[in-house]
Amino acid sequence: MGGLPTRRTVNGFAVNPENPKVMFAAMRDGLFRSADAGESWKPVGTALRNMAAVAINPKRAEEVYAASEDGTLYVSTDGGATWTERR
Amino acid sequence: MRLVSLARSVRWLVMGVAFAGAALPVPAVAQHAKPAGNPGFEHVHALTVAADGRTLWLGAHTGLFRSGDGGRPWQSVKLSDKSSHLDVMTLVGDPRDSRTLYVGTHEAGVFRTQDGGGSWAQMNIGIGGVDVHGLALDPNEPAKLHAAVRGQGEGVYRTTDAGGKWVRVDDGPAGEVKVLASVNISTGMGGIFLYAGTAEGLLRSPDCF
Repeated sequence: MGGLPTRRTVNGFAVNPENPKVMFAAMRDGLFRSADAGESWKPVGTALRNMAAVAINPKRAEEVYAASEDGTLYVSTDGGATWTERR
Repeated sequence: MRLVSLARSVRWLVMGVAFAGAALPVPAVAQHAKPAGNPGFEHVHALTVAADGRTLWLGAHTGLFRSGDGGRPWQSVKLSDKSSHLDVMTLVGDPRDSRTLYVGTHEAGVFRTQDGGGSWAQMNIGIGGVDVHGLALDPNEPAKLHAAVRGQGEGVYRTTDAGGKWVRVDDGPAGEVKVLASVNISTGMGGIFLYAGTAEGLLRSPDCF
């Protein structure tokens, strides 16, 4: 259980359409991933901060997009394991 | 008020924290720090990928933006002739039709396009307020959506006809809603779960209000 910062704002949220137990939460502290419907969470993309929104490609669920509050866009093509800034 | 609070706390359960009752100190840094990056957005609120797997939509303080190529480049999309810069709080697309997108705004309620953003209609019949902070589309029934409204008319509203008419169904979770999503996990009671990202964390409730 656990893994999300306590009583901190969850700005963004996305669910894997193929496996809805897999989900992402975007927070100021970073981006977090759960594989058990939100019971437990682990941070992903450890350099990511001030995250505002996250979205999963419905055609390719391993492709995940995340945006910071200031509009910097990041993409992962491996289900959130690694992230690159989209320039 | 006490009854309302109790109902909220029982229905909406906090997810993902080991000790939900233990509050951390509120950070001194403001939640809405002045953005330093892309000047066109000012503050990003929402992001979604359309059903075609190519079109990205981004909602921000300065409006709605679309990209046909994974975020390169972004083009501003006008929702209304009356207001050039609506504050876009939330976005949700129809998973079976990439041309249909619902947009929740801070000051003008819900908009819907059915032609990929070429034209927009306001879909606010039955909604008690204009500040829509969350829109969730049921993946099993794309015409069924829930909307989280802040301020006047605060609560969760439901439509079963793709936004034609809304009915208030719940007080909603405690704390300011930032994002709302229907998650296709059965509650065992004939519905699925609604998840809400709020200022208090992540909460969920069965959607059979």
